[in-house]
Amino acid sequence: MRPDERKGVVATRRDQFPVGMRVLAVDDDPVCLKVLETLLLRCQYHVSTTNQAAIALKMLRENRDMFDLVISDVHMPDMDGFKLLELVGLEMDLPVIMLSVNGETKTVMKGITHGACDYLLKPVRIEELRNIWQHVVRRKFSTRDRASLDIYEECNKPSNADSDHAHGHVTCGSPDQSGRPSKKRKEYYSEEEDEGEEDNTQETDDPSAPKKPRVVWSVELHRKFVAAVNQLGIDKAVPKRILELMNVEKLTRENVASHLQKYRLYLKRLSAVASQQVSIVAALGGRDPFLHMGAFEGLQGYQAFTSSAALSSFTPHGLLNSPRNNPAVFGTQRVSASKSIQTVTGGHALNHSICDANKYHLSSPGNQQGNLGQGMATSLGQTQMQPKWIHEETDDLSTIFSGNGLANSGMSATLQGVTSSPLLPQELVECTQVKVGSQPSVLTPSVSSGRLEGTVGVSSSLLDSRVSQQTTIPLSGFSASGLPIHGLFNNSCATKLGATSSVSTPVHPSNDLLVARDTKAGASSFGSTMLLPPDTEQKYLNFGGGNSFKHKFDERTADSLFDLKFVWSSSLSSQLASNIGAHHSVSQRWNNSSSNNSNIGARMIGQPSSSASTVEPHAKSDFLISGDMLVPKNASDLSVPKPQSELSSSSCSFDGLLNSIIKVEKDDVSFSDDLGCSDFYSLGACI
Amino acid sequence: MVFMQGFLDEQFNQLEELQDESSPNFVEEVVDLFFKDSSRLLTNIEQAIDKYPQDFYRLDSLVHQFKGSGSSIGALRVKNECSVFKAHCNDRSLEGCRRSFQKIKREHATLKQKLESYFQLLRQVGPREYAVCSRK
Repeated sequence: MRPDERKGVVATRRDQFPVGMRVLAVDDDPVCLKVLETLLLRCQYHVSTTNQAAIALKMLRENRDMFDLVISDVHMPDMDGFKLLELVGLEMDLPVIMLSVNGETKTVMKGITHGACDYLLKPVRIEELRNIWQHVVRRKFSTRDRASLDIYEECNKPSNADSDHAHGHVTCGSPDQSGRPSKKRKEYYSEEEDEGEEDNTQETDDPSAPKKPRVVWSVELHRKFVAAVNQLGIDKAVPKRILELMNVEKLTRENVASHLQKYRLYLKRLSAVASQQVSIVAALGGRDPFLHMGAFEGLQGYQAFTSSAALSSFTPHGLLNSPRNNPAVFGTQRVSASKSIQTVTGGHALNHSICDANKYHLSSPGNQQGNLGQGMATSLGQTQMQPKWIHEETDDLSTIFSGNGLANSGMSATLQGVTSSPLLPQELVECTQVKVGSQPSVLTPSVSSGRLEGTVGVSSSLLDSRVSQQTTIPLSGFSASGLPIHGLFNNSCATKLGATSSVSTPVHPSNDLLVARDTKAGASSFGSTMLLPPDTEQKYLNFGGGNSFKHKFDERTADSLFDLKFVWSSSLSSQLASNIGAHHSVSQRWNNSSSNNSNIGARMIGQPSSSASTVEPHAKSDFLISGDMLVPKNASDLSVPKPQSELSSSSCSFDGLLNSIIKVEKDDVSFSDDLGCSDFYSLGACI
Repeated sequence: MVFMQGFLDEQFNQLEELQDESSPNFVEEVVDLFFKDSSRLLTNIEQAIDKYPQDFYRLDSLVHQFKGSGSSIGALRVKNECSVFKAHCNDRSLEGCRRSFQKIKREHATLKQKLESYFQLLRQVGPREYAVCSRK
């Protein structure tokens, strides 16, 4: 190799490619790492190595342009290889190749669904490494293709200035060079940008221009992005507008466009998972109430995000009307919910959850709710979602939780499930439990610890609602769901939910729950409270630890969740009905307790942060509807001050979920917050 | 390397091919690295079997690492025995795991011995070979 090749890697790289391609190798095993490094050097690549995923991320974040490709081991102690994979893909848009001794189909599948562009088995052979440069080219090609090729090729227009080419007009005849890819892209674009007035990335360089410097999608940036998307509505979110909303200097529309594309795929993936779940759930028997997911309509922000068609479909009314024992309905509900959730969460977690959820679903036929949770959870799929959740879940409920871990959606799903059950207070309790379970999971997505948040919030709501309702179970199930939503919306409420959850010994239809709820508000036990039957209230409370949800939950909640799950599963049976009632009550409480909102923090995207207190205590039905109602009203209340804060906020709301999705890679906290809010909505809606 | 037959697979050959002037002792370095790291891993596994005998997930995970590095140097028999161990973990058979682990340790020790002899041999022969090459 000529000396200048190595030296002028950057400059000559293009000409000498793949020689000098910059690879970052990550593997905790020193032997493998050394061998890999040598092999890569032999292929004439430029190699950097590290045995810690955290360091790898740091290096990548510091300078995105430093590397062309990342190769990572799957099995690492400090961070799961799949998680690293997702983060790199989302943040840096670099191709990642997974490496492992384990070549089982399901593991390979997991790698692919997480976005790996290739999966190699150890010991790696040099022949395999000689071709890995193709992944870099492919990616570059598609990016550039999208932006400039279309324009360039299309109609041979010399000046790129033609806007819309890339996006709108691609269909017109883009050249074939990238014909296929661009075509695909075009369609993609055209769907997302119907306006077609997007000017294409002309602003970027011309087709033959060298690759533009990559934009690093930091957590902050991504958060802005998601916020903008939510604001616009997932269907109407076009790069140009997003860019305007984001108002970030030096960010080009093209950057946004490519990021958006990825994001959408992510969401799709989540929803795919969720829908799987949903179907399962549906099978189990869903409830109408879930439809009420629409409750979260109030959560505009969120909805937008989740392209919530599904969510929106939920109408508060639905909740009320929902035939409690309408499993079928439920199923559908869930689907939507899950779907919505999916969008929200973007599914990283979904993948996990879905897998798991499915697992659980099947395992717990009885747990419709669980399934819902799972489905939901899966949909939420927060990347954060700790796969662990799923594994740990043994019971159906547990599964739900696990699924939930991902997203609040999980919760909602559960809630839904819950609601489906007969109104009986007991049921409600159960339902809530279910939800609770999901809550934790929901939270997780956003934050490792935050997991709980999402779910917890939800559950608490359930509990509450149930409690109050107890006998009346007004919405039967519906309300139950309603609660969670509230939780979501009212960030503050969320916290309360947690607390309430404790209170709500949903398990008991009796008033105890009611009382409990108020008192307990300790958000802490979100997850926990929900599940455990009245006597276990305490447990719930502890579970959540309420506020700390977010991060701390991980461990704790995980445990508590599990406990809850079990407890829950046992009690769940038909609690749904009761849950629903409780639901209302909860919601009410939330309103009242808006003061606590701070925890809820989940900034529900777009949610009005009405304080919880504004919400009427009684409106049970309000609550349900509250899904949307609350949102607007209570948004203020709920508006939990801290976006990141504790689970409560995030867990409840979809926002939290959303956040989590966004944040998945970033920090837990912020994630949960945002999602929390929105999640809740969705959850509520589900209910 | 007839006496190594069965103990090492073609991955080892690959390593040898990677050895060149720029990294003349590559193979030995990697092998040393392996035995250092693997001793640590083996200790961990042993402890885990004693302390958390029912934690098959943990055991599987530890052996998984071991299998990974073993396969990277081409330690065929060690790698195979690791697979057996993992199967026992799957079946949740503690007894099976124990037995298998003993085998892993034996294979590991045998391999170590053989490789040490091998490198000794190479050192005796080696310099002359390099000299020949450079003369060329």
